[in-house]
Amino acid sequence: MGAELIVFAILFILTVTGAVMVVASKDTVKSAMALVLVMVSLAAHFVFMGQELIAALQIIIYAGAIMVVFLFVVMILNVREREVAPWYMRSLHYTGAALVGVLFLLLGTGMVAFMTPVPLAEAADVAPGAKPPIIDLLTLMITKYSLPFLMTSILLLVAVIGAVVMGRRYDPETGEEYVPDPAEAA
Amino acid sequence: MSPFLIYTLVLSVTIFSIGVVGMIIKRNAISLFMNVELMLNAANLGMVAFATHYGLLQAGALVVFIMTVAAAEAAVGLAIFIAIFRSRQHIRVDELDLLKG
Repeated sequence: MGAELIVFAILFILTVTGAVMVVASKDTVKSAMALVLVMVSLAAHFVFMGQELIAALQIIIYAGAIMVVFLFVVMILNVREREVAPWYMRSLHYTGAALVGVLFLLLGTGMVAFMTPVPLAEAADVAPGAKPPIIDLLTLMITKYSLPFLMTSILLLVAVIGAVVMGRRYDPETGEEYVPDPAEAA
Repeated sequence: MSPFLIYTLVLSVTIFSIGVVGMIIKRNAISLFMNVELMLNAANLGMVAFATHYGLLQAGALVVFIMTVAAAEAAVGLAIFIAIFRSRQHIRVDELDLLKG
């Protein structure tokens, strides 16, 4: 218990520090790297809870795929935060921070207060608090949730097509697709 | 009740709130997107914590689906940002008023 608590405290501090850095950093690349830190430490949390499969997927999908896309876009666009915020933006900061404080309290008390004190033993697939077998989760995904699983593949296909369509350039006069002249480029 | 469930939920709520703060104070569209990812991650963490506590397997499948949707959303959203940047040379969300009535 004691050692677990120390590991958990380190992970907690690491995650919250990363999350604060995502918001506080003016440099977009730095906030992206802080986001990677948050995702990796969340994966450590999942391992801590005995959910190794979700931890692996977290690393592969979030810290791997999604963050690479983010960094590519940051690199292509080279965006910067503007130096001086207008007065309404600064006032928005304070009201926003106050409102989020209220939200934090509401969410926190709600989650803890409305938690059922006893485990829902009749609904449980495995012993509550126990480590779920990975094979069971994967079996669930190809039996009970096979249709949503197939639908995610269609969703990803649509997303890829949408990204390609959004990324194409069009000639403003003719409305036709802009194709760069290879001779000009060379 | 395991104390780790409460600690994990506190962490989840903290990260979610930090993501909301970022949504409010940032004006760069890519930073806003990063904060959306932060909030999605916080929700995932809360769900996995509850699933582990109650011994449910369905939440694991749900988390996988959330990750897929987040990946699709990032792909399309960032493509939209690139298209906007091409025509406007910036992606400051407080100055984009194309859909304003």
